[in-house]
Amino acid sequence: MSDSQKNPKVLSDKIIDLLVSNTFQKNGVNVEKAKQKLSDEQKQMLKDLVTDLTSQVNSFVKEQPSQQKKPK
Amino acid sequence: MSEKKWRALDHCDTEKQDAEVLQEGDQEAVTKQDSFEWIIVKDSEDVEVQTTDTQAAVSLQVGIQVAIAVVISLTLGDNDQSKAVVQDLKQFMKTKQRNTQKTVIEGSKHVKVTTTDIDLAVNIQALLQILLAVVAKLDIL
Repeated sequence: MSDSQKNPKVLSDKIIDLLVSNTFQKNGVNVEKAKQKLSDEQKQMLKDLVTDLTSQVNSFVKEQPSQQKKPK
Repeated sequence: MSEKKWRALDHCDTEKQDAEVLQEGDQEAVTKQDSFEWIIVKDSEDVEVQTTDTQAAVSLQVGIQVAIAVVISLTLGDNDQSKAVVQDLKQFMKTKQRNTQKTVIEGSKHVKVTTTDIDLAVNIQALLQILLAVVAKLDIL
């Protein structure tokens, strides 16, 4: 299996990106200002959190019986 | 909720008056997901059953939802604006799902059954995508 098959995107990144941008815009979020709010330590912490969740999701999706290779 | 079983401690749920502290965490992520899966094996031998770990999936979902709320609250501050953003994203995260699946195996030999909860997997992946997009937008990754 190629990597893309292992982790199929259920929604296109563009749609999700649009959703997030739109939500920020709608609520008058200043993204540049928001970026500066995080300390390096917080950034690292969030980065770790996201990496951890991503790998958990990947292994959950892989574990799904439907995604497993059939021996026969 | 017709399938809810009577529990001896049910009265605790309703009579609890001082549950305010518990409520706090709930604000962050609302996910309702009921899965009822029945697999009945009768008069059979050598039956192999493989099923989805719903519990793991649900905690993953909640984990991602909370992560989104944390990222937003850290970057935008704990104010009305950040609450509104989380609220808006929540519209997409809020999922209500009920899966009922019943599998009956009767009078069989050497059977291998695999059941999947596709909805759950798809949901989790979509949620993760939202988290990744938020994080990317805020230059965290």
